[in-house]
Amino acid sequence: MLGPRRLWEGLRARPLRSAATLLVALGFGLAWALAAHALWHSTVPSGLRLPRVDPRQAFSSSFLERSSDYERFLDIDALLGELTLLLVLVLYARSGHKLMRESAAGRIGTGMMLGMLGFALVWLAEVPFGLAAVWWQRRHHISHKGYVDSVIESFLQLGGRFLFVSLALGVAMAVAGVLRRWWWAVAAPVFVGLALLSAYLSVYLVPNTHALQEPQTVADVRELAKVEHVPGTKAEVQYVERETTAPNAESVGFGSTRRVILWDTLLDGRFSRREVRVVTAHELGHLAHHHTLKRVGWLALFLIPAAAIVALLTRRRGGLARPEAVPVALLAFVALQLLAAPLMSVVSRRDEAEADWSALQATHDPSAAKSLFRKLSTTTLSSPDPPTWSYVLNGDHPTIAQRIAMVEAWQARGSR
Amino acid sequence: MPVSEHPVRLSVSDDLVRERVTVFFRALLAIPHFIWLALWGIVVLLAAIVNWLATLILGRSPQPLHDFLAAYVKYATQFYAYWQLAADPYPRFDGRAGYPVDVTIPPPVRQSRWTVAFRGILLLPALLLATAIVGGPSGISSITRGGNYSGNFGLLHLAALLGWFAILARGAMPRGLRDAAAYALSYGAQFWAYAFLLTERYPNSDPQAALAELPSRSDPIHLEVGGDLRRSRLTVFFRGLLAIPHLVWLQLWGILALLASIVNWFATLFTGRSPAWLHRFLSAYLRYQFHVYAFLYLIGNPFPGFAGRAGSYPIEALIAERERQNRWKTGFRLILVLPALLLAGVYGSLASLVAVLAWFSSLARARMPLGLRNAGALALRYHAQVLGYVLLLTDTYPYSGPVRDAAAAAEQPAIAGAPAPAGEPSGSDAPGADQPAASTLPELGLS
Repeated sequence: MLGPRRLWEGLRARPLRSAATLLVALGFGLAWALAAHALWHSTVPSGLRLPRVDPRQAFSSSFLERSSDYERFLDIDALLGELTLLLVLVLYARSGHKLMRESAAGRIGTGMMLGMLGFALVWLAEVPFGLAAVWWQRRHHISHKGYVDSVIESFLQLGGRFLFVSLALGVAMAVAGVLRRWWWAVAAPVFVGLALLSAYLSVYLVPNTHALQEPQTVADVRELAKVEHVPGTKAEVQYVERETTAPNAESVGFGSTRRVILWDTLLDGRFSRREVRVVTAHELGHLAHHHTLKRVGWLALFLIPAAAIVALLTRRRGGLARPEAVPVALLAFVALQLLAAPLMSVVSRRDEAEADWSALQATHDPSAAKSLFRKLSTTTLSSPDPPTWSYVLNGDHPTIAQRIAMVEAWQARGSR
Repeated sequence: MPVSEHPVRLSVSDDLVRERVTVFFRALLAIPHFIWLALWGIVVLLAAIVNWLATLILGRSPQPLHDFLAAYVKYATQFYAYWQLAADPYPRFDGRAGYPVDVTIPPPVRQSRWTVAFRGILLLPALLLATAIVGGPSGISSITRGGNYSGNFGLLHLAALLGWFAILARGAMPRGLRDAAAYALSYGAQFWAYAFLLTERYPNSDPQAALAELPSRSDPIHLEVGGDLRRSRLTVFFRGLLAIPHLVWLQLWGILALLASIVNWFATLFTGRSPAWLHRFLSAYLRYQFHVYAFLYLIGNPFPGFAGRAGSYPIEALIAERERQNRWKTGFRLILVLPALLLAGVYGSLASLVAVLAWFSSLARARMPLGLRNAGALALRYHAQVLGYVLLLTDTYPYSGPVRDAAAAAEQPAIAGAPAPAGEPSGSDAPGADQPAASTLPELGLS
């Protein structure tokens, strides 16, 4: 690795080249900062002050205690799962290259195999944590999923991950074979392109969906889409009732593939029409503010430096062109991803807040929004005001308390 | 003529010549035997239960019961050989020795009471394999019930069906089909001998061990079996998922191969030989497909490459250089290949079952049973020959029977010749049983 002393020696030995490198790095940093600034933009008024909402006023103390217990277990389980993930990958980085003997493929094929086996070991190590989460959700009647079904489902998902890892390593190692240590400069944009393609086509990967049939909701979607300047957006229903009782919705795709997907658990009668309108408006808000594309933009801002760091860290194993570097690359990439997770959560929370604001602007129905957020909390047992560490690490949405506070801020702003 | 080191040995002294009239009416001629087999089968069922209890108590099968059951297995094998066209003369009704396809069953020996007690459970993997090699469950059970062949087609039945047409046309049973049938008969005899406690040795699915005299052929597409039997438990457990990128790549390549094969058909039809570049491209595709399925079905251990490079995989489909091809055979290739496709379907079932059984066995022992490996290799070799025939890489028709494989032949004496300890099913597919010579494979330079 390039230490400060060597950097200084390099600067003294070749000042012109070093200055040029520094300038390129500065230019890159500036471009990164400008891009991040542009992506950071939000339509939520910058001066908006959220009032302090006391969860004890909106929720019973027994619920607060129950939801807190529920989330604490899942948070700790997830944290242990991630520590296990890191531990497995550290061990794999040390001795995973020995599995090269199991390959008759060339360097790229062997690298793909090592990549897949790395995630296979991670999957094996994480099975108990997944089962523990299922057990906890079943115990609290949030999930109906069976243990065997859960393992089989995650095993099949692992197949998808294998395909993704193979593709990514195939691209990176092929480029590294030509460009050596500069592979990341080409591979990272390719990954971003693939992510863009994946975001565009993601609607076709959502299972168990069908077109929304309910006339009232269809009419609401049509009306709200016009209000939010995304006319013609289609809505679909995803069947999840057999697996969970938790309500949810999502927006996927962009351009001609953009869709709002409502879970059938949202339309089972527990939520009023006005509450479903708020959910729909929230998802349309994501589409209206191009959050899918923004996510890809943020991914690019993460991937380019991350790939450069991976390139740097794999040099001791001969660079990513060599299959023996793959276990190290996996560890480096996953570690960077875990480190970046809190930052990505900040971005996600900002997008969600903008979608909430957009929903309020479209529906002008703060009471329905408040009622929705309360019900979301009670039906999913999510704590309205989780502990800070959990919020920082896992909070990809504002807390329920923050969301209710935003509704109140919106009301206050309207009344002024 | 002893043909295998398994104590239950099949011997074949058949000249392949068949009388067309008896073949045409074979099923009808077999009716008296069906009736006799069924009647005898009822008694055998009762005798088998008594034998089980007696062996469990005494530790060895009583001689009269053993002889009675052995005679039945011999008779059933002879009758099946006749009915399924593996032999020509009308068989006797007593299973006496001397029939062109005959089975030798050793005298009773001491058996482990544990394996006797759980024989019904231990039999299950072999039963699964028998469904592919001999026929479906109803086909197998009919050996005791007699008749009722509405069951699934196995290798034995399909070889007989195809052989029926071939004999009517040529007056002789093709060697490949006869050997395929004999392989199935050998496995069937070993299966029933194991089920009736006539032996403690597990049925051996290895086609190299089933028949003593296998032809050494040099087909334009043939197999080179290398590599050891060691399997990594990790890659075995995730084998199906690890193959996903290959299967996707194979599909994409397959689209191009389909288009290329159409061009190849026209080119071969007009010029009489396949263009060199198409031959290379389609050969690489065939090799790649072979590597992927060898990996997926656990016939091979290492993760294969993505290019189908020759010599890159321990189990290799060797493809000859392009040669002049008969234009008639080229023109009607898709019709000519139909019988081979039927047989390829049966071999495909065999390969799938081998994969399932080998998955459990390799996970438990980190080693692929030799018998299963060679049975899978036979299935894959046939599949490769059929695909090569379809892709016009050769106009030599796929050879349906097992052939002597140089590497496997080198392995076989080491496996079969090793003295098996009492109760150790050496050279077989016994779950949990180790093959004595398997550990010597790397030393033999086969790794």
